Amino acid sequence: MRFIWRAAALAAMTALLWSAHAQQPVRIGSTLALTGPLGSAGNIQKVAIEVYIDDLNSRGGLLGRKVEWVLKDDQSRPDLARTLYEQLATVDKVDLLMGPYGTASILSAMGVAQRYGKILIHNSFGTPRLAKYDMQFSASGGAGDPENVWPNLVFDAVATAPKPPKTVAIVTTKFPSAHSIALGAREVAKKRGLTEVLFLEYEFGNRDFGAIAARVKDAKPDFVFAGALGLDGVLLLDAMKKIDYQPPMHFYTFPAPGPMLKLPEAKNALALTTFEEHPPHTGNPQATQFIQGFRERAAKASLPSTSVDLLSTIAYASWQVLEAAVSGARSLDDKALAQWLRQSQVDTVMGRLSWQGTPEGPPNFVMGKDIYKVKQLQDGKWLVVWPKEFAAPGAKLIGP
Amino acid sequence: MRFVAAAIVLGAVPFLGLPAFYESFLYLVFHWVVLATSWNILSGYSGYFSFGHAAFFGIGVYTTAVLAGKLDWPFLWTLPFAAAVPALVGVALGAIIFRVRALRGELFALLTLAVTFVVSTLVLNTPVDGGPGVMLSAVSIPKLAPTVSGTFYLLSLVLALATVAIAYAVYHSRFGTGLFAIHDDEAVAEVMGVPTYRFKLAAFALSCALAGVAGGIYGVFVSYVTVGETFSGFVALYVILMAALGGTRHWLGPALGAAALTTLLYVFTTSDYAVAGRAAMGLIFILVILFLPQGLLGRFAHRKALPRRNAPIPSAAPAAKNMESILVVRDLSKAFKGVQALSHVELEVRRGEILGLVGPNGSGKSTLINLVSGHYPVDGGSIRFEGRELVGEAPHRIARAGIARTYQIPRPFPHLTVLENVALPPMFGQVVMDRAAAEAEAWRWLEFTGLAGKALLQPQHLNLHQRKFLELARALASRPKLLFLDEVLSGLTPSEMNEAIRLIRAIRDQGATIVFVEHVMRAVMELTDRVVVLTYGKNIAAGAPGDVMRDPQVITAYLGAAHA
Amino acid sequence: MPSYALLGQSALSGVFIGALYGLLGLGLTLSWGMLRQINLAHFALVFLGAYLTYQLGAAGMDPLVTLALIAPAFFLFGAALHLLLARFKVNALNTLLVTFGFMVMLESLIQWIWSADFRRLESHYGDVKWKVGELFVPLPELLTLALACGLALAVWAALRFTDLGKAMRATAEDAPIAAAFGVNEKLLSLLLSGLCAAFAAVAGMCLALSHTLAPSQIYAWIGVVFAVVMIGGLGNPLGPLVAGVVIGVSEGLTMAVTAPVWAPLVSFSLLIAALLLRPEKF
Repeated sequence: MRFIWRAAALAAMTALLWSAHAQQPVRIGSTLALTGPLGSAGNIQKVAIEVYIDDLNSRGGLLGRKVEWVLKDDQSRPDLARTLYEQLATVDKVDLLMGPYGTASILSAMGVAQRYGKILIHNSFGTPRLAKYDMQFSASGGAGDPENVWPNLVFDAVATAPKPPKTVAIVTTKFPSAHSIALGAREVAKKRGLTEVLFLEYEFGNRDFGAIAARVKDAKPDFVFAGALGLDGVLLLDAMKKIDYQPPMHFYTFPAPGPMLKLPEAKNALALTTFEEHPPHTGNPQATQFIQGFRERAAKASLPSTSVDLLSTIAYASWQVLEAAVSGARSLDDKALAQWLRQSQVDTVMGRLSWQGTPEGPPNFVMGKDIYKVKQLQDGKWLVVWPKEFAAPGAKLIGP
Repeated sequence: MRFVAAAIVLGAVPFLGLPAFYESFLYLVFHWVVLATSWNILSGYSGYFSFGHAAFFGIGVYTTAVLAGKLDWPFLWTLPFAAAVPALVGVALGAIIFRVRALRGELFALLTLAVTFVVSTLVLNTPVDGGPGVMLSAVSIPKLAPTVSGTFYLLSLVLALATVAIAYAVYHSRFGTGLFAIHDDEAVAEVMGVPTYRFKLAAFALSCALAGVAGGIYGVFVSYVTVGETFSGFVALYVILMAALGGTRHWLGPALGAAALTTLLYVFTTSDYAVAGRAAMGLIFILVILFLPQGLLGRFAHRKALPRRNAPIPSAAPAAKNMESILVVRDLSKAFKGVQALSHVELEVRRGEILGLVGPNGSGKSTLINLVSGHYPVDGGSIRFEGRELVGEAPHRIARAGIARTYQIPRPFPHLTVLENVALPPMFGQVVMDRAAAEAEAWRWLEFTGLAGKALLQPQHLNLHQRKFLELARALASRPKLLFLDEVLSGLTPSEMNEAIRLIRAIRDQGATIVFVEHVMRAVMELTDRVVVLTYGKNIAAGAPGDVMRDPQVITAYLGAAHA
Repeated sequence: MPSYALLGQSALSGVFIGALYGLLGLGLTLSWGMLRQINLAHFALVFLGAYLTYQLGAAGMDPLVTLALIAPAFFLFGAALHLLLARFKVNALNTLLVTFGFMVMLESLIQWIWSADFRRLESHYGDVKWKVGELFVPLPELLTLALACGLALAVWAALRFTDLGKAMRATAEDAPIAAAFGVNEKLLSLLLSGLCAAFAAVAGMCLALSHTLAPSQIYAWIGVVFAVVMIGGLGNPLGPLVAGVVIGVSEGLTMAVTAPVWAPLVSFSLLIAALLLRPEKF
């Protein structure tokens, strides 16, 4: 009797332990810039990813296990990012790694991932040609040659204006990613026969845009292509407004979306995006879940803008890619996931991503085309206006 | 010995098979140890406060970035250049900056800050970077340890140990003593024989070189360098914070501060507490500084004096008084902003004598001393010491030739102990002594002046009389051939004065020649062999004390004309 | 050759940004020069002031009116900070460290309340501008310039002509001697420290009018404002304004005639040359 009792207890224990193991969460590690100069972007991405993980766990997690996100703050410093990824990989021993925010930090993380043979899915890598690792996958939706694809996209868009531009002024920060796109824009403009009436480079962190605005005004371009990051665009617009100048058409590479929305003078500004809160992007359950979830959580995190935008979308999509890979490969093994991704396509909230690279491009990057769209600030809202099939219902590029 | 043991233990870390994170984290610690310690060698030791450490760190980063990343040099080969290029830039800058006397304190800080802006703009807009940043992930990293992180760990460990060892060696050497003297009072340091210009230049070069190597390694560690990251204000700010946190007057202080702050910053990287953690770091910082104002190592900031070695006062044979001139001043003139302080002054000092130099206030006595000791440049005339022309010589070379002086208002080095104050001149005198010998010498003169009991105090704890004697001991410690005493008796009580007069006699008996500037006529009459009188910057009389004092011109000068 | 309108507008823009540098530097130079306190927290305080202006402005209050609330509160903070520094007899280098601690804490507070994302004050001030000849003069910038000039001149005159000011200068020169002449050094320092913090509130209001805010931006101003303060001469209330305008205009003109990236090179090379050739002027 006692024996049976003991055996039963043992069996129960074993079962308990076994199930505990099965219930042990999948731990996924990453850093984000939660403090420091990139803090605004990092905190937006944090909210978007939390929305996704909530949803994922409510659907049962990955391979039947809950997902636990081990997030650390890299303080916007690439050296710290590297060390934190070493910690995630060798001390915390997380199951999978995800990328941080920003080109420099992603490169740091990529080095660590490469040393430990980990797959790295990232979403904000500005200079794809610097990626040399064959198990890195960009979920930003961008091509391997954005310096070529994006200017073409933008010039295609402005060509649909009632009066397409003949002259262009290119004004750019010297921050690497935005700078290379602006240099690409010079080439593309030349090929398309536009006259470059002004080309200006300013230092990253420049504060006084008065002179730059005055020079743009003097040059009288039909179109201003601003290689502007974060607040640059707002500062430039402020400065142009002060001298009573409104460019006929204007584009900003990656402006801080919130403040731009509130600037009356940002009317009709163009920018790049992958997803906006209007059809045809919305209307599917995933998009609705994303938009609503983000709205709630962003308000809770006291973010000034609770609408989704490029930053939140690419963060959300990168975890969609991860989930798709794990479910597709039915494994947490890094090599299996990489193998699966290379041969597959993933439908994300912002469109279909794939990674069938070409020998001349960086690994796992598609060259020559991507899913980016051009949006325009119309009546206080960002609306996609190009390409046509993604444009908001009835929206067209407004121009002179 | 302990140092070596620690080095061996730390060096073994990569071979223990610990998770790579620990190496990577310790790399960051060592990186900041190097930056903070190298900053301190210039700014903490010599007091030339730099806001521009980021510039030299950045030059190092980009030296390696260009050589290894663009020209494909082997990584380790680039490191000597990552040291040399910033050091050369530092020396070139220093050669200009340190010639301009007024550029101390805030102005030096401002200048180095401006240099950072200029260097970063140049790097950004020339092919050195040009904008896109430099990718270094293709640079092959030598296998010094089982893992890549281990290699960086070892490189930074070696550099950190070397840097701390250099800081230690400098701290305890003549060089370091000279730097600390420059920190406290540069003009006095120079007059005591410290080659201040060379020392500042050397400290600047050393500081830049070490920061540069740290930069070279760092560039490859982060594997992608951009101007924005490299020249950000954080480096300049953090090195100051770290050094001050640990204690700028201790060789190990900045290293400790760097380790503490790096760890503190790292502790608060957990996402849920990122913001609260930052606030906590701020609070900890405030509390540490309020309760440990000298830094973590502040209370250890004083060098331990070497064990006292008593040596008897040398009983050098008194130099025979003779007619040979040791110092000949001819036609010496000096004007300050149009006011003629000295005009065509003549002075001869004979070996072995005590020459009284008297005159009313403002007659140019102190100016004369300042000219002979090289403190002010000379407008015209000649000063020959033992046949050698001194006009145009740097003050420290004049000191080295065997001339010493005291200051009318004592100017001890406030942050050095009495012993260190007195041990400084022998290290830079006619015969260069190492620190041990110099301290033995210093004890001798402290004994002589009755200050031995105060040897380990700072000068602020001395009263005026003791400070005057400290001046005397400091001047004597270099065993000068010619000693200028500038009103050493003023402000002393009669009994203190008697003691001083006894001392001055004893000094002469040991072979020094003395120029005695004094208002106390009793002492002048008692002590001097001859007297020279100056008034309005001109000689008016010279001769035996008794004769001169009866000279009507002298009486007029002192007491005014009998009637108008 | 760029047009005169372009040169004029660029120079004017330099004057305006220089005025902001000067306003930011005013409190800093006074506490540095006269109290021997290198107050890094000043930058965080400016931003806190800007965020408060933003918050009150969003609630419908006129930005200028917000100062009536913020400036006195800051005055108290400044005085309290001084009490702490004086109580512990913190030396100049260590004030840098202690106030760094405060700066980090205030930054965290700002991020905790307003998040790391950008905030922007919408105010009717931003829409007002005048055309003078060929040049445009916007109201927020003009207000900044007026406040910068007004405060700097007022402080300068007060220090020069009032008994209180003379007593302050005497205290800054030699506190023990001034105390021996019956100057209440402690009270004066407290007053000055409070004033410096109140100036941070004014600078913050101007910053909120013309700039978009983020907590990390606090650090972006340190380098150039430190430079301006040191160029202007520590303790000289007019110094930061003059130096700020010189830097601003030289950078503005550089940007008008050549590639804007070279702007820092020109202004700071000028500064280095001036330091080396005429050090006695500083």
